[in-house]
Amino acid sequence: MRGINILTEFSQKASEKIDPKLIKIDDTTLRDGEQTAGVVFANEEKIHIAKMLDDIGVHQIEVGIPAMGGDEKEAIKRIASMGLNCSLLAWNRAVISDLEASRECGVDSVAISISSSDIHIEQKLRKTREWVLESVRNSVDYAKKYNLYVSVNAEDASRTDMEFLLQFARNARDAGADRLRYCDTLGIMDPFETFMRIKTIKDIIGIDIEMHTHNDFGMAVANSIAGIKAGANYVNTTINGLGERAGNAAFEELVMALKHIENIDLGFNTKKFKEMSEYVANASGRIIPSWKPIVGSNIFVFESENRIKLYNANPRNYELFDPEDVGLEFKVILGKYSGFYSLKYKLELMGFSFNDSQISELVGIIRNKAISLKRSLFDSEIVETCDLYLKSNS
Amino acid sequence: MDTEKNIDDEKINIIDSTLRSGEQTAGVVFSKNEKIRIAKMLDEIGIPEIEVGVPSNSEHERDIIKAIINLKLSSRIFGYCEADPKEVDYAIQCGLKNIVITVFTSNGHIKEKYNNRRTLISKLKDTIKELKNNEINYIISAEDGTRADLELLLQIIHIAKNKGAFRVRICDSVGAFDPFKTFLRINTILSTVDFPIEVHTKNNFGMATANGLAAIRAGASSIMTTVNGIAEGTGNTALEEIVMALKYLEDVDLGINTSRFRELSEYVAKASSRAIPVWKAIVGTNVFAHESGIHADGVLKNPRNYEVFDPSEVGLTRQLVVGKHSGSHTILHKFKEFGIELTDVEANEILAMTRAMSVDLKRPLFDKELMYIYRDYIDSKNEENTEA
Repeated sequence: MRGINILTEFSQKASEKIDPKLIKIDDTTLRDGEQTAGVVFANEEKIHIAKMLDDIGVHQIEVGIPAMGGDEKEAIKRIASMGLNCSLLAWNRAVISDLEASRECGVDSVAISISSSDIHIEQKLRKTREWVLESVRNSVDYAKKYNLYVSVNAEDASRTDMEFLLQFARNARDAGADRLRYCDTLGIMDPFETFMRIKTIKDIIGIDIEMHTHNDFGMAVANSIAGIKAGANYVNTTINGLGERAGNAAFEELVMALKHIENIDLGFNTKKFKEMSEYVANASGRIIPSWKPIVGSNIFVFESENRIKLYNANPRNYELFDPEDVGLEFKVILGKYSGFYSLKYKLELMGFSFNDSQISELVGIIRNKAISLKRSLFDSEIVETCDLYLKSNS
Repeated sequence: MDTEKNIDDEKINIIDSTLRSGEQTAGVVFSKNEKIRIAKMLDEIGIPEIEVGVPSNSEHERDIIKAIINLKLSSRIFGYCEADPKEVDYAIQCGLKNIVITVFTSNGHIKEKYNNRRTLISKLKDTIKELKNNEINYIISAEDGTRADLELLLQIIHIAKNKGAFRVRICDSVGAFDPFKTFLRINTILSTVDFPIEVHTKNNFGMATANGLAAIRAGASSIMTTVNGIAEGTGNTALEEIVMALKYLEDVDLGINTSRFRELSEYVAKASSRAIPVWKAIVGTNVFAHESGIHADGVLKNPRNYEVFDPSEVGLTRQLVVGKHSGSHTILHKFKEFGIELTDVEANEILAMTRAMSVDLKRPLFDKELMYIYRDYIDSKNEENTEA
């Protein structure tokens, strides 16, 4: 039963209040988002996305990988010359030539990324732990010579032996790094493991920690929140959760969850979320599913009876925020799950005035129509159905 | 350093509600044949319990429910009713032996639905009487249960226990909880009363699966799912996500045939006209597609570098995508597949051409396009040679 007790302790600790001023978002739509297999942003699109993120109030933008050169470097230079309010961070391998390319772009911050797990060190890098630590020291040294803000990214941190991860974090801190990015590269953490690992690093090493989580098991947002609860103060997000494989922690989901579930309001202009999500969806060719949390077009479209009735009595009965908060609209549609109340509400809105017994009859008619169409009804079909009903009853 | 595992594999139950909660998605209607097909598939892959529909909805719905009961599947079949004896009568007409009874439990919901708690409890008791008279097995479902007063929730659980319900379902109907809050609530309930608890979590803030998992870690023994997570609003815990998360993150194997997950997801996606996003966790086609040089190289050296499980486990295949972020290893590997052995120099020169083309097209390249590039490359080499 000890396991239960530890988790209870974590959960209680996780309910402690956190000062919103301490929490910062580092959005990586332009880097990890673009790294999604099949996605390429045009430079104009990158510039537009950077502007929107800055407008909304994001603290830092990860703009790309200068070492790729060419167009990529050009886009980063242009974004760096726009005079945005937010900090700009460029992604690098722990290699001096990568950092030189970043310097040439004029960014104020760099991420220095290297794997910390044995499986990656041995099978991907084909090097040793000592080599990894030394590469980090050398590159942090170099970046600090040029007064860059430095995040050291522990790639595949989740599969890294904790003892070595602590050594890795200490090595980064002592070399002068400003923060450690904890990368759940494969998306294999659950919130409790995340809490435990982040708290351990934070308590022992005391460095600022950034969460970078993946959604392979659908837990990217929850794991980022668990990290914050355990003492992390940065989260690396992407708009719409764009990113490799199943994607990253979605910017809009994380920000709204912090605000409405955790009482951590970052003060962002959430009204622009839908617009921004749509822009990124179009630029990436990854259309927003209609049920996508926060910005999906269907999430404030209601059909079933109880949901509509209770929502209209008090919106908080079924939603924690209003559609306008994120640039969406509330709508009632009629279909198989419609009932008396929803019909009355919708038909009055459409200008019909039926008495109660007529509405009761229409419920059955509408339900059967939806069943035969195998979908909900368009407004024009509702009008048609009502007109027909009136004609046959007059 | 692992937090200790405390989940009993034998006791975790899945009740899939694609046919009820899933169909309740605004705009979605399944046909009779689709409902039957989905029920069969869920049964075949080993889902213990299936919620098939709302008997009070229509004659048509009752007809479908009867047809599914007549299939005599191994899965236990449930209907869904509000706490109202009249609704139960419709369920009995279909021949249902198992029913989920819903009561609305948060203060806001109670005010609208029942006016007060006393009415709620008396409705519930009347309904239970009807169920017992007809020897129906039942689960009591507490709508908006995460925001309900704990005292009321415990009262409902006591009624369930005393009157022979076999479980109580607690619904996070507005997705108001995070995993830690979920854990505390379920843990508190189970420390007070010993009774099987099921959870139904919503994805309003993207945490449905994590919350479901937290509830299970706190001792919940059943979880309600839908295929692809389809349901009203943002949806529910996705069947494929929770099953794989339990298996790979918590070491709890429910013995479900996961190799048919992609097939099942595709079928439900078609039937609901809700296409699976390519990045959908577990079943999206992009989950095993690798483009960036680092990832593709890592996967080629050892798939476990970037994949937790093999794509065949969920009915998918691995793809290497050649695009802007590709590296020379991918080029070498791709051309090897085409039967062409490139030298490192050739691979690097072709890489520069593929990157430029991908940036220009704003997408990765098809295999055909790679071959065109290869021919262009060979032609230009030949020209150079002739000129020399």
